[in-house]
Amino acid sequence: MITFEQVSFGYPDAVRPVLDRASFEVAEGDLCLVIGPTGSGKSTLLGAINGLVPHFTGGTLAGRVLVDGRDTAHFRPRDLAEVVGYVGQDPMRGFVTDTVTEEVAYGMEQLGIDPVAMRKRVEETLDLLGIAELRNRALIELSGGQQQRVAIAAVLAARPEVLVLDEPTSALDPTAAADVLAAITTLVHEVGLTVVLAEHRLERVMHAADSMLWLPGDGQVVAGDPAEVLARANITPPLAALARTLGWERVPLSVREARRRALGEGLLPSPPPLAPREVGDPALVATGIEVRYGELVAVNKVDLRLHRGSVTTLLGRNGSGKSSLLWALQGALSRAGEVSVDGLDPRTLSPAQARRVVTLVPQTAADLLYLPTVGAECDLADRDSVVPPGTTAALLAQLGVLVEPERDPRDLSEGQQLSLVLAIQLSAAPPVLLLDEPTRGLDYQAKAELAAIISSLAADGMAVLVSTHDVEFAATIGERTLLMADGELIADADTASLLTSSIAYAPQMAKVFAPAAVLTPADVARWLA
Amino acid sequence: MAVERTNTLRSLHPLAWWGWAIGIGIAVSGTTNPLLLALVALAMVVVVLARRSAAPWARSVRAYLVLAAFVIASRMFFQILIGAQAGEIVLFALPELPLPAWAAGIRLGGPVTAEALTATAYDGLRLAVMLLCIGAANSLASPRQALRSVPAALYEASVAVVVALNVAPQLIESGQRVRRARRLRGDANRGLRALGPIALSVLADAIDRSMSLAAGMEARGFARTSGPPAKGSLAVMLASAMAATLGGFLLLSTDLGLTAGALLVLGLIGTGWGLRRAGRRLAVTRYRPLAWTGRDTLVLSSGLAAAALVLIGAQDALSPGLAALLQPEVFFPSTDPLVWPQLSLSALLVVAAVLAPLPLTRPVRSRVPDAARTDVRLRSLRPQAEVARP
Amino acid sequence: MSTRQAGLATLQEARLSLVLAAALAIGAVAFSWPLFLTPASGVSAATAPLVFALVLPLVLAVVLTELSAGRLDAKTLAMLGVLAAVGTVLRPLSAGTAGFELVFFLIILAGRAYGAAFGFALGAITLFTSALITSGVGPWLPYQMLAAGFVGLFAGLLPKASGRAELALLAGYGVVSAFVYGWLMDFSFWPFALGDGTQLSFDPAAGPLANLHRFVLFNLATSMGWNLGRALTNALLIALLGAPLLRLLRRSGRRAQLLAPAIAAPASPE
Repeated sequence: MITFEQVSFGYPDAVRPVLDRASFEVAEGDLCLVIGPTGSGKSTLLGAINGLVPHFTGGTLAGRVLVDGRDTAHFRPRDLAEVVGYVGQDPMRGFVTDTVTEEVAYGMEQLGIDPVAMRKRVEETLDLLGIAELRNRALIELSGGQQQRVAIAAVLAARPEVLVLDEPTSALDPTAAADVLAAITTLVHEVGLTVVLAEHRLERVMHAADSMLWLPGDGQVVAGDPAEVLARANITPPLAALARTLGWERVPLSVREARRRALGEGLLPSPPPLAPREVGDPALVATGIEVRYGELVAVNKVDLRLHRGSVTTLLGRNGSGKSSLLWALQGALSRAGEVSVDGLDPRTLSPAQARRVVTLVPQTAADLLYLPTVGAECDLADRDSVVPPGTTAALLAQLGVLVEPERDPRDLSEGQQLSLVLAIQLSAAPPVLLLDEPTRGLDYQAKAELAAIISSLAADGMAVLVSTHDVEFAATIGERTLLMADGELIADADTASLLTSSIAYAPQMAKVFAPAAVLTPADVARWLA
Repeated sequence: MAVERTNTLRSLHPLAWWGWAIGIGIAVSGTTNPLLLALVALAMVVVVLARRSAAPWARSVRAYLVLAAFVIASRMFFQILIGAQAGEIVLFALPELPLPAWAAGIRLGGPVTAEALTATAYDGLRLAVMLLCIGAANSLASPRQALRSVPAALYEASVAVVVALNVAPQLIESGQRVRRARRLRGDANRGLRALGPIALSVLADAIDRSMSLAAGMEARGFARTSGPPAKGSLAVMLASAMAATLGGFLLLSTDLGLTAGALLVLGLIGTGWGLRRAGRRLAVTRYRPLAWTGRDTLVLSSGLAAAALVLIGAQDALSPGLAALLQPEVFFPSTDPLVWPQLSLSALLVVAAVLAPLPLTRPVRSRVPDAARTDVRLRSLRPQAEVARP
Repeated sequence: MSTRQAGLATLQEARLSLVLAAALAIGAVAFSWPLFLTPASGVSAATAPLVFALVLPLVLAVVLTELSAGRLDAKTLAMLGVLAAVGTVLRPLSAGTAGFELVFFLIILAGRAYGAAFGFALGAITLFTSALITSGVGPWLPYQMLAAGFVGLFAGLLPKASGRAELALLAGYGVVSAFVYGWLMDFSFWPFALGDGTQLSFDPAAGPLANLHRFVLFNLATSMGWNLGRALTNALLIALLGAPLLRLLRRSGRRAQLLAPAIAAPASPE
């Protein structure tokens, strides 16, 4: 269905090509997973499938890309609309209209499809993705998972044979991601679409993949069977790490496969019973926190202590009040209740003082960046935090980001932006750090680095609270986990016991080795002896 | 080709509402009878209150009422201050203040007569009610549906407007997020000094957004069916537009009313034809195009009937029978000498035309999809996590 | 680019210039109607602007049609829509506060960065969209759209300059255009706004010069503050934000341009 023949692509002023003589084929009806670290060219490869690269992006493409027998050199992306459906990273940014049905119809209007046929197709497409009940809703009101499904419906209405998705679940919570992925697998299995999908969190989707394209980052593309490609790739979802730990040649693609093999081989890690946690002094004491938006109670009478030198994870559904709680603790949001950090309430302090007491890195960290260069951001942070010049830049280097000070922060990768914001916020040397959903858009490498940074900050005596959806990440960072639902804290326990006793929040290792309380491949290696 | 049309989401075609309101507006422009004007205004407000949707634009009628009141008040103010006073009944006299010669010999103040003040009030009321007609159309017609029935030649421009309407609330959100985020960096600047960085940030975000939007549009076939512009359509359109302008010019500057009118109408028709022709280079279709139903025709005609009634009624050279029926003097009650304004059958017919949409339409109860969309006040209170993914 | 393509492009440019020139001429007539209205015509001053309110939408339609015919690709259109959204958000923010209008400086800067045609389209579409959102559709709207379009158009036709000189030029243009915009709008609706019973009222019988004299006096007395406020806002915003905004717009303009997508022959395998 899709053939790349010796495809090279580079931007005019770039040093090295993004793709370097890539050749591979994607068979009809496959669910093909594209993996690779950030910046390895996944988006470029996906864009090349429908000709957005190079027709839209500019740059030079050498070689041939054939989709359903058509050479993209001779077809503009718009001419391929009923061959390739392309869904970009953030669906909301790609919407042209503002209600569900109009958005679904938009592509067909462009193709000049007869209104009678169009009406029918809109209905069918809505049903296919299970969004018929959303038909008249405004797009901006929908949840992320719903928006993503509308975006898929909007390209499917033109009846393409190939669906290309660029990280469709990176911004979703696990339930919404599962909805979207279920919809995608239905399209592959029931409708016979060929799907090419780029994804960071492989654990969610690799079990459904028929083939895999791995971009190591040097312009090469390695194609093949998922289990074999994963065994070689520098991308390590938990099951691949497990296979590596246990010396398995073939990477199990699902928990079921791994569990069968582990049981078959009689592998059962036996972690010692949990020792009681050592608790440091409380760095932050919050009592009776309540946040309301009009009628809606987002946070309902939450009591919370964060201890020095500890990492606490906050889990919970979207809309359960996690973000509101963090913003309220920082004092940037009006709330009822008491917060005390060394006797100071950040809400009563000026913003400049408050961030030296409690600092927050918000979900879209890039919102904090608005100066034209990285250097200017660092200098401003030095002045804001009243620290010697160069402190923030040094912190940034410590966080492992070495970029030229002239770079525009907007051109950095998400991981680099996060590190820059983290460096800016840490320059104030606050005793309490709050991170809201920091793993959004990060690859495994960046997540591992972030986990290491968080641990070292805690080791230096800081109290860290991380809100996240990513249970695999949660499993690697904190010893204590809080669970939030409906604005209330419903659980506060050791990470190991809380995660392993939950169905929804159990990491893959816990599922593979249940009932043993192991969370990560490292745990498995440690307790298997 | 069977064209499937819809009338489920609406009360009337937006153009029917506009046509009706413009018709009433023309009728209003042809009378200074305060009784009639007040009745028309009342009827207009009743129709708006009974037939508007829950959408944000439907709340505009109050703003137009305020504007109407302002128009009357300001006209009265200037009449009292610098009015040329005619009539004999002097209500009061302000101290006179002649201005120097460069000011065109104007004098401020002086005696204020009841006749002049009444004439100004009538005239101001007429303008106020015309404004109210526009306000009513703004409240009743859905701009979004109107956008779906623009001529094909303007398709691209209408897409730009749709994009703007769609992106605007997202930008407000983006601005609020950035503003909140600035507190996290310890920046407490407010007002103009904070505006710069926020504006830059939001604009940079907007421009990034336009790139992803363009990629999405391109990948979904935007402008695929567009061919080269139809030959000759531009020449026709330009010539017609010039002709229409010339017609308008002659209409105002000479007494060649008929020639000028014909030129104007011909020019308008020619431009319309040229636009239609130019639209053929695009083969886009419309999802659920708006239907023009009998009810639309009826409502539109009631507006036009009101206009015709007043325009014919106000003619001087009416046959005696028609004059007796229409009573043209009712439309322009004398202010010098002052007389009490009267109502006639024809005036009541005008009011009936204003009320005509009431029996012809039903109240809009269906949930308007974009009602909450534009209501950003509620959203503005929430931190972005809950906003983006409720 | 072949000579044939180059020829086509020049032809398109010529067509567009023709249309814009026609719009300018028609606009000049429409805005200056109080200068030539005579009592003999039998048209009252209150209905006169409505005559051109019929003509102007068609003129705008012709210009926008010609602008979009094959010229507006997805990128330009998306940029147009998004910048119009910015203007639409800014306009209600500033409405009502004596002349503190935030929308024009954006139109001026975008016209400068992306050219006269884009400036015209942005001016017209921004005013239209914000009228839709604020329910400001009325006979004045075509006049506003055309006038704002011209603000953007001439911003794109300003002479070359860079650095501080460019900012000074744009700020100066911001002041001038604010006054011209205000005067044009006030002039065409002045007889409408004041009525006909006062000494400063429009009088069709008085002749153009006398009317102009009256208008200047009336406008100085009532709208000077507004126009001045608008002019100062433009100059201030351009001085403060002009440089970074122009940089931003130009940078993305470069990105948005099709950097001559080249598709080479398949590389021979080694």
